[in-house]
Amino acid sequence: MRIQVRRTGGFAGIERYAEIDTAGRPDADEWQALAERALAAGQATRPAGVPDGFGYEITVDGRTVHASDPRLPDDLRALVTRVLKEGA
Amino acid sequence: MVPDMTTHGGHEPVFCTVVPPHLLDKLARSDDPAVSGPARRTLVRDSELRGRRRVTSEFRLAAAPAVRAPSDRPLRTIYDAGNRTELPGTKVRGEGDEPGRDATVNRAYAGLGATFELFLKAYGRRSIDGDGLPLDATVHYDENYGNAFWNGEQMVFGDGDGEVFLDFTLPVDVIGHELTHGVTQYTANLTYYGQPGALNESMSDVFGSLIKQYTLGQTASEADWLIGAGLLAPGVTGVALRSMKAPGTAYDDDVLGKDPQPATMEDYVRTGRDNGGVHINSGIPNHAFYLAATALGGHAWEKAGQIWYDVLTGGELSERALFRDFATLTVKAARERYGDGGDEHEAVRKAWGQVGVRTR
Repeated sequence: MRIQVRRTGGFAGIERYAEIDTAGRPDADEWQALAERALAAGQATRPAGVPDGFGYEITVDGRTVHASDPRLPDDLRALVTRVLKEGA
Repeated sequence: MVPDMTTHGGHEPVFCTVVPPHLLDKLARSDDPAVSGPARRTLVRDSELRGRRRVTSEFRLAAAPAVRAPSDRPLRTIYDAGNRTELPGTKVRGEGDEPGRDATVNRAYAGLGATFELFLKAYGRRSIDGDGLPLDATVHYDENYGNAFWNGEQMVFGDGDGEVFLDFTLPVDVIGHELTHGVTQYTANLTYYGQPGALNESMSDVFGSLIKQYTLGQTASEADWLIGAGLLAPGVTGVALRSMKAPGTAYDDDVLGKDPQPATMEDYVRTGRDNGGVHINSGIPNHAFYLAATALGGHAWEKAGQIWYDVLTGGELSERALFRDFATLTVKAARERYGDGGDEHEAVRKAWGQVGVRTR
């Protein structure tokens, strides 16, 4: 499973991107469960945000969902945080 | 592993329309104006609709508190989110309370006060809405959160990740920048996409910088004209996030990339990312303000700031204003307030000419 996260906007206006391939990882099942919950929590198009709020684009095996601060669902936040921290 | 942090990358589908957003985004970036024009207009219009929905569904309804600040003093409340994301969090300092041990709380409190002070003393504006809106702020939002924003009702500050960004309460211009988004929302309500979006960003940088200058008592020639000085972690190669004096020179770092801001229309960046480059092309109106303010000399908030404030709040600025619309109104405002052919009129007219924005 390939999980890609792109975070845009913010006060700095600097994009940040990271991705992770769960294949062969000992925690692959955990990633898959989190990714599925995140996909269910996201929206098909980018929801209204606030000026300088982050926008998020999450793609799991080619399926993309969107979210915006300050209304980032918990499952999406958890996935975004992990991918940006552990991904490359 | 270090995550890739970049200003480049894939598209950012943003909009809800019958045309798939990724396609609209691609069209908006086409070299053919016949293709890009309609796509861009659709993007702007849709963003405007989203803005209106936000205003009606969240903003206006939520922002009608019974309590108002007295006419000449702010009414501040600082909350601590405890590194979680529920707003507003636990109240830690109210108006008039003595400073506590948390420097972040104290800086947020002082920054809200500095912003209130500039708008009141320089322009006679009573708080963000002009009607004594209480100023609430939440600090320690989320974990390692590298951002700050005005959510339509209150300020939210992250602690930064410590590697790229430090605590977002550190620069007073950042606090002023975010609160000015509130002022813009209550006044011109510039659409947060493309040129009107870049103007919205520029208003926040202009008044954010003026709040810092007012606090330090600096003249235009003494000011650093930087946005976010002190926010970058020690290892980052850069002095700030943006420079109004020399757009494009604030940072050049292997992780952050290079400051992408243009100073003139010649280098205007056409992009669908970052809401159509709102944090990029704001460099152009930012630089025009810097040029006008330094040409006039003295305290920048007194004349140049007054002219910009007149336009932001005067009711003639459209939500979808382009750079040339805004520029034309500032020339008009300078003439009306300070006289036809006066130094102010000439300085403003020349400043826009220097950044390549034509005025009518």
